[in-house]
Amino acid sequence: MVLHRVPSVGKIYVLLRPKAQRSALDRFERMVATSPAFKPLHELHGAGMGEFIASRVEVVEGDVTTPGFDIRDAELAARLHRDLDLILNCAGLVDFDPDLREAMSTNVDGARHAAEFTLRCARARLLHVSTCYVTGLRQGVVPEAVDPAFSPCGEPFDVTREYAEITTASEQIIAAHESPDAEAAALAETLKQMRAKGQDEGNAMLLRNLLRRVKRQRLKDELIAEGQRRAKRWQWHNIYTYSKAMAEAIIASSLPADRFTMFRPAIVESALEYPFPGWNQGFNTCTPLIYLLGGWFRHLPARIGNPFDVIPVDYVCRGLVVAAASLLLGRHAPVYQCGSSDRNLLTIDRAIELTALAHRKHLRNHGDTALERVVLSRWDAITTDIDHLLSVPNIRSAAEGLRDWLRESKFPKFLRDTTDEWADKTDDALDTVDTIDKMVDLYQPFVHDNHYVFVSQALFAAPLVEPEFDCDPRNIRWRDYWLDIHVPGLRKWCFPLFENKTPPGYTPRHPFKLPRPPAPAAAPTTPSPRSLHPDIGRPAAAQHAEV
Amino acid sequence: MNHRNTAAFFRVEGILLSRGVLAASAYIAGNAKKFGERALRLGLVALAAPVHAVLGQTDRALAHRLVHLAFRGMSEDRVAVLADEYAEDILKGKLLDQGVELMKRAQGEGRRVVLLSDGIASIMQPFARHLRHFDDLVCNHLEFRDGEATGRLQEPVIGGASGGRWLQHYAAEHAIDLAHSSAYGSHGPDMLLLSAVGKPCAVNPDFVLRRSARDADWPIIEYRD
Repeated sequence: MVLHRVPSVGKIYVLLRPKAQRSALDRFERMVATSPAFKPLHELHGAGMGEFIASRVEVVEGDVTTPGFDIRDAELAARLHRDLDLILNCAGLVDFDPDLREAMSTNVDGARHAAEFTLRCARARLLHVSTCYVTGLRQGVVPEAVDPAFSPCGEPFDVTREYAEITTASEQIIAAHESPDAEAAALAETLKQMRAKGQDEGNAMLLRNLLRRVKRQRLKDELIAEGQRRAKRWQWHNIYTYSKAMAEAIIASSLPADRFTMFRPAIVESALEYPFPGWNQGFNTCTPLIYLLGGWFRHLPARIGNPFDVIPVDYVCRGLVVAAASLLLGRHAPVYQCGSSDRNLLTIDRAIELTALAHRKHLRNHGDTALERVVLSRWDAITTDIDHLLSVPNIRSAAEGLRDWLRESKFPKFLRDTTDEWADKTDDALDTVDTIDKMVDLYQPFVHDNHYVFVSQALFAAPLVEPEFDCDPRNIRWRDYWLDIHVPGLRKWCFPLFENKTPPGYTPRHPFKLPRPPAPAAAPTTPSPRSLHPDIGRPAAAQHAEV
Repeated sequence: MNHRNTAAFFRVEGILLSRGVLAASAYIAGNAKKFGERALRLGLVALAAPVHAVLGQTDRALAHRLVHLAFRGMSEDRVAVLADEYAEDILKGKLLDQGVELMKRAQGEGRRVVLLSDGIASIMQPFARHLRHFDDLVCNHLEFRDGEATGRLQEPVIGGASGGRWLQHYAAEHAIDLAHSSAYGSHGPDMLLLSAVGKPCAVNPDFVLRRSARDADWPIIEYRD
């Protein structure tokens, strides 16, 4: 958006880590060449896109999880320290409950390194992308303020101490994981899995591979459980909001107020206009929920009237530009919240009804079967209480009862095969119910338990000069957005991922290639192991961070 | 002949469309959010149907009010989506070609073509996208408060005996010469509308309008789907 709408921008440095034997430059080139997000820019510049990008963008190979961003070229690092005006830290791990080490490494260490890098720069200021939900499990109006000692439960929060405790706890978990008892438990679980799948327990190689996988998963599960325990103890929703809150605390306590600002978007959803209506990418925010409500599941526990703070991604980008400009001018607020709840309220019950209507519109005309076109299209999702008769736990308990009855009752011999088959089908259905249950649990704090209104005033403090950066959500007409833009966009760009399909690709009319500097005529040298296998020897967490 | 400042008023139901407000209300009520709610709202429409038939010749405005009570509490989003669906999927197929021809001819003569509909704007506006030969659509408006239908129709309610008064007001506002204007009606209560213009015409008239048209020597046009 900046390259498109502010083509006179001086220079944008993109910090990117190499991945899967691809250099940062290759990855960047591929992203620009294939992502539909760059479509307007390709259409504007055509064959000159490569030259334009090369004149405005420089790709820097590095990693936010490492101090100094792992920029090994000293001359480049010095140039960045000297020239940078603004550092935009949007690197983040957005899984709700990831491995605690990865969350710390990307979200917390990444923020710390960004703050340190900012301090080393001559004049750069840090725009840190966070989330409105760092407020945790609270009720009511959430102001645009940052306090390093804040915790949702009200107890004073010391981020340095918390980080040290996490490090110690993680080390203890890893040490315990290597103990003979843990080894034996992992082996027992592996053998159990092999027996269940009918695999040969005598196959040593298979056993070794499966054992390694089981151990890795058990360690990850324990670290996730530890992260969840800590998040709950301070009353954050999950590891994601807990780690993002820690990141804010680190930045706010290590940088002077004139050198940073926090940018907190709420629930980021499909683009309203830019790069084109409906643009979206990946499994994100409420996409799984909307996908789920397109099926037979219809009783979603949610509290009527609770705000559902959705904001289109292009509004977030515009807001970022406004916040960045304010920061550069030194007229910034400490926090910019970018949401819709206090300016153009969308309630969760309205969002659910609009979702049901959007699915109805699609299924009536494009349902695969008559059942979908006639029945499922009219099977509207509704908002219910947690203890509704048809709530997920009640459905599970009824299904379990049915399965047990089918398994344990003494049916006549000629019916036995049929009842066994039905019991197996009920078991499969229970797996689906479990998945739904987990998803409903995940979203419950956001749609049922808490009533948030995020104050979003700072972005509108200055008069709007350039309408292309207007991010006022009062312009959004929710019905049109949800029915004609958002859900159709998800259906095109995101739902295929749930169904193991590939979303449509994008190929610009003019193939994109960054101009390469001429190859030096010097004698060939032995490439370093890093350039051959950039990921070898790096921490696993480093695979996730990007700026 | 110069038809400047003249208009042709068309009652939509019966002349351009073979479906009335009862069918539309039943469709929307039958697609409410919850299953129980659907049954209840459909029941309300079913109860209102005979009353609508009886009041249809005396107080059509009240009849319309009763039918739309079934929408009370439905969200504006749902009404809009269902209305659009009804207009696109059902009403479009119920368009009477001869009625469209009458409309086309009136516009060809230079008259201002005004459509009068008993239906609500949520249905009639998307439906009107399929009609090209008209200048103005006048229809009923459902009242919404805080995103929910109150079940009430906004004043003035179209379709009642007050149509004559409304017509005088409309003619004055748009400087229309009613003495040289035409009107096409199909129901008994349209008599006031028809008697207010110089060129009235009964199209597919019901029993009451047919008798009056014969008495007044108005032309009668008959066609079906």
